[in-house]
Amino acid sequence: MKGNIPIAKPVRKFVFHAEEILDTQIVITRDKDAPLAGSLIDKFTYPVENDYIVFPAHYIGLIKDFIIAKQVMTLLVKGAAAKRKEYRVLSFNEDCVYNGLRQIYLDALKDEAKKEKKLPVNKLIEMLFILYLQFHEDLNELPWNPVTNTGVYMRLPKIRKTQLYYLMKEGKEDMDEMIEQMDIVPRRYFVLSKAMFYARDYFLAKTLPADELMPVINIPQMKKFNHLEVKEMLTTRWTQTAWYQSKVFGDSMLTIMDSSIVNDWKAEPDLDYYYNLYRITRRLTDNLLSYMTMSDWFVWEPFKHMQDSLQKKNEYEQKALQRIFGDLIL
Amino acid sequence: MPDKEALAWIQKGRAYAGKKRFKDALRAYDKAIALDPACAPGWFAKAEIAAEQGDFDEALALCDKALARDPNYADAWSKKGLCLFSLDRFEEALAACTRALALNGNDPTAWYIKGVSLDELGRPVEAQEAFGKSLELEIITDMEAEKKRTGR
Repeated sequence: MKGNIPIAKPVRKFVFHAEEILDTQIVITRDKDAPLAGSLIDKFTYPVENDYIVFPAHYIGLIKDFIIAKQVMTLLVKGAAAKRKEYRVLSFNEDCVYNGLRQIYLDALKDEAKKEKKLPVNKLIEMLFILYLQFHEDLNELPWNPVTNTGVYMRLPKIRKTQLYYLMKEGKEDMDEMIEQMDIVPRRYFVLSKAMFYARDYFLAKTLPADELMPVINIPQMKKFNHLEVKEMLTTRWTQTAWYQSKVFGDSMLTIMDSSIVNDWKAEPDLDYYYNLYRITRRLTDNLLSYMTMSDWFVWEPFKHMQDSLQKKNEYEQKALQRIFGDLIL
Repeated sequence: MPDKEALAWIQKGRAYAGKKRFKDALRAYDKAIALDPACAPGWFAKAEIAAEQGDFDEALALCDKALARDPNYADAWSKKGLCLFSLDRFEEALAACTRALALNGNDPTAWYIKGVSLDELGRPVEAQEAFGKSLELEIITDMEAEKKRTGR
């Protein structure tokens, strides 16, 4: 381990454990501009010689330790898959983008038909790919979250209080995402996005266990659904709200998480152990995609494929729009 | 009270340090010290840079210089604790942080270094208490920063 930063003993041991398992050196550094969740620049993804973990400079104590621990867990899972030559990310190609944009457009049309104040056509078209990329990003990240968090919780009991604070903060931020676009984004996608985060928080609340993570208690918009009876929900105006629908979809996604994230957390943490966590992450991603009928929106490919696709994203968008709208788009 | 002009150089140095222009920062701090050799913040600011660059022996010596000029300089005791911890001198780190906390009980770094030092010394129960206090202060700071950032 390289870095001039004091780190709590259990976290330091965990870093050494990762270095031993993956036969690597981890460089830990602080940066005032680092994202709040820290960042991982690993040699399985980027052309670098060591693995780097960067955390925000203003975190000095246990929050910093938790961020490092979570990134180390992510590195272990990625690294184990890479060592088996099986590390893949969700990427996309021309057909994927067409499938995604077409579906979002059809759903948007259904929503627009019911709206009094219609969205201008150019705004609607612009929104399609932005929303598609948002789901691409979320689905590349979200399924890792319950897996790595559970892993950290099981391996590092001494930083559990810090983890709980961090997760509450993260949950709140994720629930706030997209709210400003609530009236623009087709209802189905707003609900699915919220439902994913709801399911993640609920899963962690059950696993950690931490009552404070319950979305129905912690998220202002969800509060009214706490202790609401099914009969009451089915017979009142609640059924029409996006937040109620998020809860219903979120409960289904929670079932998917429960059945996908099955692991012997107390097993010997060797390369097989972390590789199994990678397989769980992929299984969960596939199951969520299937549930949201997005299976043909993305493909599993090496990281380089995704980098290339992101380079070509504007070209893919244009081609997809032409396939959907024909000459009307010119 | 340190010389006003010396303090202005320290402020300038901090602005450089914030941009990672450490050489410029050190030059500014040296000017401050030249103007007022008794200026503890000047020595302490130099210690901060040495610690940032991983030279904990040098940082420790600079903290001692700051403390020789102002024995009640809480931040210098806290930084000294951090340096001693990084040099695996856990007993001394614990003593330095205890002194820092006697001067300023709301220093999350001092509580944290106290926690990690106690943990290294095989005193986990006391370590947890120190970690608890450090986390509490860090959360307060984080929530205030969040409020400022989002305006809520």
